[in-house]
Amino acid sequence: MKILIIEDETGLRESIEAYFTGGDSVCETAGDFTSALAKVSVYRYDCIILDLTLPHGNGLDIIKHLKNNQHNDGVLIVSAKNSLDDRLTGLDLGADDYLTKPFHLSELKSRVTAIVRRRSFNGNSLLKFNELSIDLDAKTVAVNGNFVKFTRKEYSLLLYFIANKGKVVSKNAIAEHLWGDSIDIADNFDFIYSHIKNIRKKLVEAGAHDYIQAAYGMGYKFTEA
Amino acid sequence: MKLLNKYNRINIAATIGIMLVTGIIYYYAISHILTKRIDKDLVLEENEVFNYVSLNHKLPDVYESNHQQITFLPLGKHVIKRRFLDTVYKEVDEDDMEAGRALISSVKVGGQSYRILVAQSKVETEYLIKIIFQITICVIFVLLVLLTVLNRVILKSIWQPFYKVLAQLKDFSLADKAIVNSTPSGIDEFKELDQAVITMAGRVKTDYQNLKAFTENASHELLTPISVINSKLDTLLQTDEFTDRQSKLLNDIYGTVARLTRLNKSMLLLAKIENGLIGGDEQVDVKAILEECLYQQEEIIHSKNITLETTLGEMQVSASRLLMEVLLNNLISNAIRHNYSGGEITITLQPRQLTISNTGKNTFDIEQVLKRFHKSNESEGTGLGLTICKKICDNYGFALQYNFANEKHLFSISF
Repeated sequence: MKILIIEDETGLRESIEAYFTGGDSVCETAGDFTSALAKVSVYRYDCIILDLTLPHGNGLDIIKHLKNNQHNDGVLIVSAKNSLDDRLTGLDLGADDYLTKPFHLSELKSRVTAIVRRRSFNGNSLLKFNELSIDLDAKTVAVNGNFVKFTRKEYSLLLYFIANKGKVVSKNAIAEHLWGDSIDIADNFDFIYSHIKNIRKKLVEAGAHDYIQAAYGMGYKFTEA
Repeated sequence: MKLLNKYNRINIAATIGIMLVTGIIYYYAISHILTKRIDKDLVLEENEVFNYVSLNHKLPDVYESNHQQITFLPLGKHVIKRRFLDTVYKEVDEDDMEAGRALISSVKVGGQSYRILVAQSKVETEYLIKIIFQITICVIFVLLVLLTVLNRVILKSIWQPFYKVLAQLKDFSLADKAIVNSTPSGIDEFKELDQAVITMAGRVKTDYQNLKAFTENASHELLTPISVINSKLDTLLQTDEFTDRQSKLLNDIYGTVARLTRLNKSMLLLAKIENGLIGGDEQVDVKAILEECLYQQEEIIHSKNITLETTLGEMQVSASRLLMEVLLNNLISNAIRHNYSGGEITITLQPRQLTISNTGKNTFDIEQVLKRFHKSNESEGTGLGLTICKKICDNYGFALQYNFANEKHLFSISF
C-alpha cells in the first residue's frame, strides 16, 4: 500500500516512515502544508496520515481539497488536539478515523491497515492470511475453513497482530489497544499473556501455524511463517 | 452587629447625652431667669416700702397677699446685710409648704432700724419649669423615634449599592463565566468601591483564565514530545536482539512513558472540563456504558479475584458521552484499584442514582482526595481521577457522595 505521512514533527515523521516502510508498503512524507498539498494534488495514496496542526496551514483544508477534487484517498487524522470539534469536523469532512497523540506505532499501523482494507475490499469483507480467513463483517475467524470461536478481545488482538505482522508489538501497546486508559490498574501484564496463550492455543488446535512469538519479554511478534 | 444598629446605638446615646446636658443647662438657665424675675418683684416691693417710709415716716401696714408676704422686725444695734435667699413659703390659708424666694433688707424709721423680709412663692416658677421640662422630654422622645426611623430609611436606601456589591462578591466564583455587574450609585465612596470590585474581579478572572490556558497549553505542548519518545521506543523495539537487562530497562521506560501520557491526558481533560470546552450533550445510556466498562476491565477484576455484583436498571442521562465514560471508568477503576485480592465490588444502577461500593482497608478524607494529585501511597494512578469525577459531576449538577462503612467504600452519584 502507498502511504503519505503529513507530520511536521521530524522525529515522529521519521519513526512512522521507518515503521511503515517495508513489506508491501511504500511511504512518502511531507513536513508542511504546502508540500503536502502539492503531493496530494498530484499523487494518489491508499491512506494519508494527516497531522492537523501544520506549518502554513490547517490539515483540515487538505481533506477539503481531496473531497473537492473527488479524490478518494483514505485519511487518518493524527492530532494532539483531542478536541471533539476537530474530531467531528474531520470525520464530517470525510476522514476515515481519528487518532490522538501520543500513540503506539502498532496502533497507527492497525488503524491504517483497517482503513486501507475497508477501501480496497469493495464489499468483500474476507481477509485471508495463509490458512486463516477472517470475516471482518461477521467478526469470525476460520482456519482451513473451520470456524474457531474467539472472544471480542481475542479477535481484536488477532487483527492487531496481523496488521503489525513482522513487527515486535510491545505489551504496553497491546494493553492500551485492548483496555484503553484503564490499563494502569493492572499490577502486571499477566492477563495479556493469558490472552495470547489462548489465541495461540485456539489457532494451533485448529491446525494453524503458531504465528505469535514472544519477543525478549517486552512484547510479541506475529511472524509470517 | 449590623451597621444600622451600631449607627443607631451611637446616635441614640449621643442624642440622649446631648439632650441631658442641654436639659440641665436649660433647667438652670430658666430657673435663673425666673428667679431673677422674682428678685425683681421683691426689689420692687422693697422700694415701695422705702418710698412709703420716706413719705409717711412710718412702716406700712402689713398686708397679706396670695403670693407675697412682708414682715418687719425691729432690729437692735446690729446691722444686717441686704441679701436674697431661697426659703420656704407658707401660704396663708394653706398648710403645705412651698418653695419660696425672699429678700432680707433693712429700713430706718425714726431712728429705729427694722428688718424687712419680703417673701414670694416660687410655685408658679416651679410649675413653669416642670411644664418646660416635660415638653423638652417629649421633644427628645419624638426626636429619637423620628431619628431612628429616619436613619433606618435613609441608611437602607443610601447603603443599597453597598449591599448589591456585597451580594455580587458573595456570589463571585472564579470558574463562573458570569462577570461582576456595575452597581450605579450617586455616592462617590460607593462608586469607588464598585469600580474597585469590578477591576479586581476582572483581574482575578483574567489571571485565572491565563493560568488555566497555561495548564492546557503546557499539557498540550507536552503531547508532541511524548509522541516522539513513544514512537522512537516502538522503532527501537524493531531493531535488534535485546539482552534481558536491556529488555527490563525498555519495559520500565515504556511504563513510565505510559504513565506520563495518562497524567498529561488527565490534566488536559481537567483543563478542558474547567474551561467548558467539552460540549456535545446527548442522551447517554448509562447502563450500556457501565456494561462496556465492566467488559473492558473484566480480566483485571478477575485477576484480583474480585467478586462483582451488579444490579443495573435502565437509565438515560443527557450529558457528553466522553465525559460519562471517563466518569464511570474512573469510579470503577478506583473500586478495583483500592480493593484487595478476593474483595467485592457492588454496582447498583437505579433511576437517578448510581452506587458503586467496594471492599477496602482504609477510609480516607474525601476533601483531601478531591484535591489534585492526592493519592494513597500504594496507588499507581495519576491522582487526578476523583478530581475529574467531581468536576464532571459539578458540570452536570450531579451529586457525588462518599461513605465508608463496614470496611466498604461507597460512592454514589445522584443524577
